Amino acid sequence: MSWPLYLALKQLFPTGRRFPFFTAISILGVALGVALLIVSISVMGGFGREIRKMIVNTQGEVQVRSFGLINEPGKVLEVVNKIEGVVASTPFAEGVAMIEHQRKPAFPAIQGVDLQRVDAVVPLRKYIIAGKFDDLDDDRVILSSQLAATLGARIGSTIEVYSPLLLEKLKNDEVLLPCELSVCGIFEVGHQQLDSSVVIVTLRTMQELYGLGHAVHGINVKLAEDTDPDEVANKINRALPMDGVAKTWMDANQEFLFVLQLEKNMIFFLLLFIIVVAAFSVASSLLIAVVRKTREIGLLGALGATPRQVAACFCYQGIIIGVAGTAAGLALGFTVVHFRNDLVAGFTRLTGSAAALERFYQFSNLPAYLSGTDLALIVTSALVVSTLAGLLPAWRAAKLKPVEALRSE
Amino acid sequence: MSNLILQANGLHKSFLSGERRLEVLRGVDLTVSSGESVSIRGESGSGKSTLLNLLSGLDAPDAGGLRWEGAPTITPAERGRLIGLVFQSFYLVPELDALDNVLLAARLLGKIGAPERARAAELLRRVGLAERATHVPAKLSGGERQRVAIARALMNRPKLILADEPTGNLDEGSGDSVIHLLLALCTEEGAALVLVTHNPAHAARCGRRLFLREGGFHTV
Repeated sequence: MSWPLYLALKQLFPTGRRFPFFTAISILGVALGVALLIVSISVMGGFGREIRKMIVNTQGEVQVRSFGLINEPGKVLEVVNKIEGVVASTPFAEGVAMIEHQRKPAFPAIQGVDLQRVDAVVPLRKYIIAGKFDDLDDDRVILSSQLAATLGARIGSTIEVYSPLLLEKLKNDEVLLPCELSVCGIFEVGHQQLDSSVVIVTLRTMQELYGLGHAVHGINVKLAEDTDPDEVANKINRALPMDGVAKTWMDANQEFLFVLQLEKNMIFFLLLFIIVVAAFSVASSLLIAVVRKTREIGLLGALGATPRQVAACFCYQGIIIGVAGTAAGLALGFTVVHFRNDLVAGFTRLTGSAAALERFYQFSNLPAYLSGTDLALIVTSALVVSTLAGLLPAWRAAKLKPVEALRSE
Repeated sequence: MSNLILQANGLHKSFLSGERRLEVLRGVDLTVSSGESVSIRGESGSGKSTLLNLLSGLDAPDAGGLRWEGAPTITPAERGRLIGLVFQSFYLVPELDALDNVLLAARLLGKIGAPERARAAELLRRVGLAERATHVPAKLSGGERQRVAIARALMNRPKLILADEPTGNLDEGSGDSVIHLLLALCTEEGAALVLVTHNPAHAARCGRRLFLREGGFHTV
């Protein structure tokens, strides 16, 4: 072991002293910053992952759309299904409709799904919380949970659906009566927007409501595991006619994903300041140590140490605090992440907010996910900031001339 | 001339005191040969410590020249090998125990093996502190601390020991004992000694006695 590292360790953990207070406080400061970063980024990552999963589960990994309608969906499906990496595909039609139940109106998004194909692509049935997905037919409808609650609709209730086609007919002095559909299921995906304003009907019903004939608005595509969505989307684009466009779920939700990433980055930078503040306190403590140990630094120079070695001794102290603080912070952070649901349960029990939490955030279990990149970023940032904290004291120590340092009072 | 360890010719050194320049050393000449002991006495402020700083290469003279074993310059590492330093205030590292304080001199030169550990333990035994090897400086008396400092100064088998008032912070009994030990160990190790002291009795025990006054040497 080089002597600067040896002396740095000895100065942080002196012989014969059980609890080095300065060292413990410095390590704790960095550890708290790292732990907070781990917990926050994990929870943000967890939410992000759940949302991504939800998007993929409701849209498929790749979506094929046309500039207008896809008039011959059968041919497009045939082309798409031949592409390597595609497991299944299903056509859909979507739009907005006015629905009414007991004189309560609502304007949800309406989605028509192909009952023969949808299961292989989008696991809608796993989100059903009341009724049965298998009961869905051309005379029935599935409502999202909050929409059903707003309308006061239950399984078996009848709702009236008014489509834009009614207005078109009115222009030609034709009257089209609203479509009456019976509620056969209620679903909840855990996303505020989807749970409050989506209606699912069969593709045939949707085509009738919008007067689409056999045309559809798009095709959702499911990919084999570990397939690169971009690669498959490119292959589909090459195989499709000019007016067909395949987009990955990431491209289709680019803005939303950007906002998610931005939020995560903001939290990272804000919490990083905790480590920066801890690093300032480490730097200040080490600077005091340089002043307090001026004569010792002079002694090292007198005994044969070079200024660079003296600087290294103080630099190592910053690094050691950074490494120990980061390790302790990782341990603390992962422990908190591991017991997060118990902690949240304890907190909500104390504040009586368990029901509110489920109502507003649609979760009872806090999701958590930390990617390797995020972990590496947190560890690297903490180590770099701590190392920088040791540089200023190191520079001050290196600048001291042994003869003047030995003479200092 | 092969046994000449140190040669100083016409050393001048001055300091600014307010607006006045104080000329502390005015052409000091000194040679130290292998194994000899030289004492330097002088009044407070006569420049004894300043001279020792120049002799150790820690400070540079305004004028005049120095040669360490014939070389006109000395690097920190060469100083660590050639010269052992003993200070009035001991300057032990408080976080290290006695043994590690002695070993520090070797560590700084990158030598830290079993032979060095054995020598450090042996030096502590010779200064009478074998039982206190694991004690930190705070648990040692002033005399014991200075003995550790002497052991540290001898650790790298230096050819020259420069001791700056090593008994200045000790009572008379401890001071006598430390000087006796220092002289005995220098003789045993074959190291030359330059001892700066106020104490005439301690100075008298050295082979050559010098008195520093008005910036120059006067033989006693």
